[in-house]
Amino acid sequence: MTAETEAASTAAVKTGGAAPGAAWHHRHLLDLDVVSWPEIELIMRTTDEMKGILARPIRKVPALNGRRVTTLFYEASTRTRVSFETAARNLSADVVSVSTATSSVTKGESLVDTIRTLEALGAEILVMRHSVSGAPYLAADIFGGHVLNGGDGWHAHPTQALLDLYTMRQHLPGGDLHGRKVAIVGDILRSRVARSNVWSLTAAGADLWLCGPATLLRGMDRWAAAWGDGAIPGHGRFHVTSDVNEALRDADVVMALRIQRERMQGGLLPSLREYAARFGINAERVALARPDAIVMHPGPMNEGVEIAPDVATSGRAVITEQVTNGVAVRMALLYLLAGSHDSAHAGEAGR
Amino acid sequence: MSAQPAAGLGPKVGQKVERFELEKAWLVDPVSGREGPGEIVVIDGVFESVVWLEGEEAAGVTDAGVVVAPGFFDLHAHFREPGFEDAETVATGTAAAAHGGYTSVALMPNTEPALDEPGVLERIRSAARASGSPVEVLAYGAVSAGRAGEQLSAMGELADAGVLGYSDDGAPVRTAKLLRSALLYAGMLGLPVVEHAEDSELTAGAEAAEGYVASVLGLAGWPEAAEVNAVSRDLAVLADAIHDEPRARLHLTHVSTAAGLDLVRRAKAAGLPVTCDVTPHHLALTDEWLAGARRWSWEALGADGKPRDPWAAGALVAAPYNTALRVNPPLRPPTDAAACLAALLDGTADAVATDHAPHTIVDKEVEFGRASNGISGIETALGVLLALVDAGKLPLARAIAALTVGPASVVAGWPGLAATPAARSRGLVEGATADLVVFDRGDSWLVTEETLRSKGKNSPLLGRELPGRVLLTIAGGRLAYEDPEADRT
Repeated sequence: MTAETEAASTAAVKTGGAAPGAAWHHRHLLDLDVVSWPEIELIMRTTDEMKGILARPIRKVPALNGRRVTTLFYEASTRTRVSFETAARNLSADVVSVSTATSSVTKGESLVDTIRTLEALGAEILVMRHSVSGAPYLAADIFGGHVLNGGDGWHAHPTQALLDLYTMRQHLPGGDLHGRKVAIVGDILRSRVARSNVWSLTAAGADLWLCGPATLLRGMDRWAAAWGDGAIPGHGRFHVTSDVNEALRDADVVMALRIQRERMQGGLLPSLREYAARFGINAERVALARPDAIVMHPGPMNEGVEIAPDVATSGRAVITEQVTNGVAVRMALLYLLAGSHDSAHAGEAGR
Repeated sequence: MSAQPAAGLGPKVGQKVERFELEKAWLVDPVSGREGPGEIVVIDGVFESVVWLEGEEAAGVTDAGVVVAPGFFDLHAHFREPGFEDAETVATGTAAAAHGGYTSVALMPNTEPALDEPGVLERIRSAARASGSPVEVLAYGAVSAGRAGEQLSAMGELADAGVLGYSDDGAPVRTAKLLRSALLYAGMLGLPVVEHAEDSELTAGAEAAEGYVASVLGLAGWPEAAEVNAVSRDLAVLADAIHDEPRARLHLTHVSTAAGLDLVRRAKAAGLPVTCDVTPHHLALTDEWLAGARRWSWEALGADGKPRDPWAAGALVAAPYNTALRVNPPLRPPTDAAACLAALLDGTADAVATDHAPHTIVDKEVEFGRASNGISGIETALGVLLALVDAGKLPLARAIAALTVGPASVVAGWPGLAATPAARSRGLVEGATADLVVFDRGDSWLVTEETLRSKGKNSPLLGRELPGRVLLTIAGGRLAYEDPEADRT
């Protein structure tokens, strides 16, 4: 009955962890745009509890015993997939792993057919990664269970943003991001990490700066302009700039995003070398930030391009902590989604 | 579903209307420019009488009830036959057109095979005859053979066979050089080139109008410059071509940006032989619908004329990434929709054309970025324009003109078409063949997969109640559509 005792302790997450008025009621987690700040705090607290589980000698609890979690990845991503599957196994869920090379999708089964098939095979929670923005909304529209977005196109990567937030709170005094300057530097245009972080960090009250070459910021200035002067309830403004020094000066958090080689072919960047020289997070640039600033990266890193190797391995880097926290955040979300009731969401229209 | 027995009329779709009388309705005759209370009688498919009521007789008759107007003419539709009959056929397309109040349609040639030689036109006409629908089916020929953008189609033979003009719609005429040749050759034949103005290099991979909404949704931006650049190119080539062939004509279809429309406005003022149309969806829908908003374009602008943020205003009520909204050109911000309306009001836009683009569920129930472009819109065009009228943004007479004399005047400017049926004068005139639509502004209808006659259920208006229920459509004196629920005893 030891396992049962563990389960009881985890079940305390549900009662003890939830503050009044902050019960989890989303059937799916597709992006953070519809997640309120109290709900984000609930996720943070639940993550704390999951961290506690991960600190034990035996990291497994039966919270999702018998529940079926399916990971459906249309895009190669070893780390995110392993993180989700580890999280699911830590909660004793049955894990089915489906990976579909994007190239075979066109000649093979449609996404809709695939999801109907997986549902017929018993999938209850679907963790999905897809290269097309918005694909999880289509999945959520037809899937009878829960959809957890593991990253869609350029659009959203909510679990990454949540693990980023969790990691930042661990390192900032009082876990409070209010007025703290966060600089995200890289290919903002195509970054789902950046977009989801906009929602969470502006909700947290952070002073958010998105920075990259002008070709990789296109359109984002219009978003930032629309959100100027606190236009959106619950979200502060943020800044978009191509001036990396301005973005990094006195920053509390510096986050580098991956620059992909394909960007060169699209005529968006002259070369990786030039990117590294002008935008790469190196020791000299980190020195512009506050002395206690942390350095983050969602991985996988191109060391020597968007981040210098010595910075990535320095004491300021919290990149491996992000990975560990990622498992805990994903455990928390699987747990919360599995406990949410479908009936509360009849009118939620996939959001 | 398409051939309901007519409750009051007796005849079925395609049969001559032996007798139809309507008392105390609101007549709109854009040919004479007159509107007001009136009565019509149709006997044997011909207007036996058209009476304008005055004084006591006219009392209580307003434009808010039953309206009679000439049948509508759509300058831009896709009926998918031959080649894509699972998406639409000439039979289902004409049934949909009649349900929308249309009595003439001009079909685009992006069929399979493309309409680049007269044999394909004959197949379409044959299908139209077989459908039994009296809706007049006209068609454009392709500009280039196989729409490949390499060499000219059989333009002369197509003109002899009776095409309405030439277009590589779905794509722009690929090069300025080919466009110049096409304008000259078509001008010689007295026909226009109908251009889909898009710089395809700027839009490669694009998913949504570049801007705030696309940025939030992570959709690849479709720059406004792609339309502006293409319109500029087309106008420059036209200005050049008319030196050599004064009969060269250019019609720009579905212009959707404020800047593109402004170029057309200036070109018209400079006397260039150019016309253009705007679509109902670019008038009434906006890019914020992609995020889940469902308010009309004019509701998305504040009193200061600036867009009201859909996230701030709590305007997001539906799931995002609805592929029924994926269309080319893309839905734009509310300011562009307002520019389309301004162009319609000041005459820069000659007509409203639907760009009716039906697709199968297989092509639409996919990831947003993989969905086919297009909106099934021929049945909802009237309702969308009436929503503008109801909101006080568009006079009823102007809305009707944009669906009737507007497109007809575009075609009338094409000398090669003088003898074709499409150029016939339209109006509510005694002795003329009856070609009309009757709709009730006091009634509405729910857009559903069942109420749409088109095979294409890819309407972003599904589930929405639209004003102006079409009660009856008569095309060429024959019954095209009658509301199955209409009681005309």
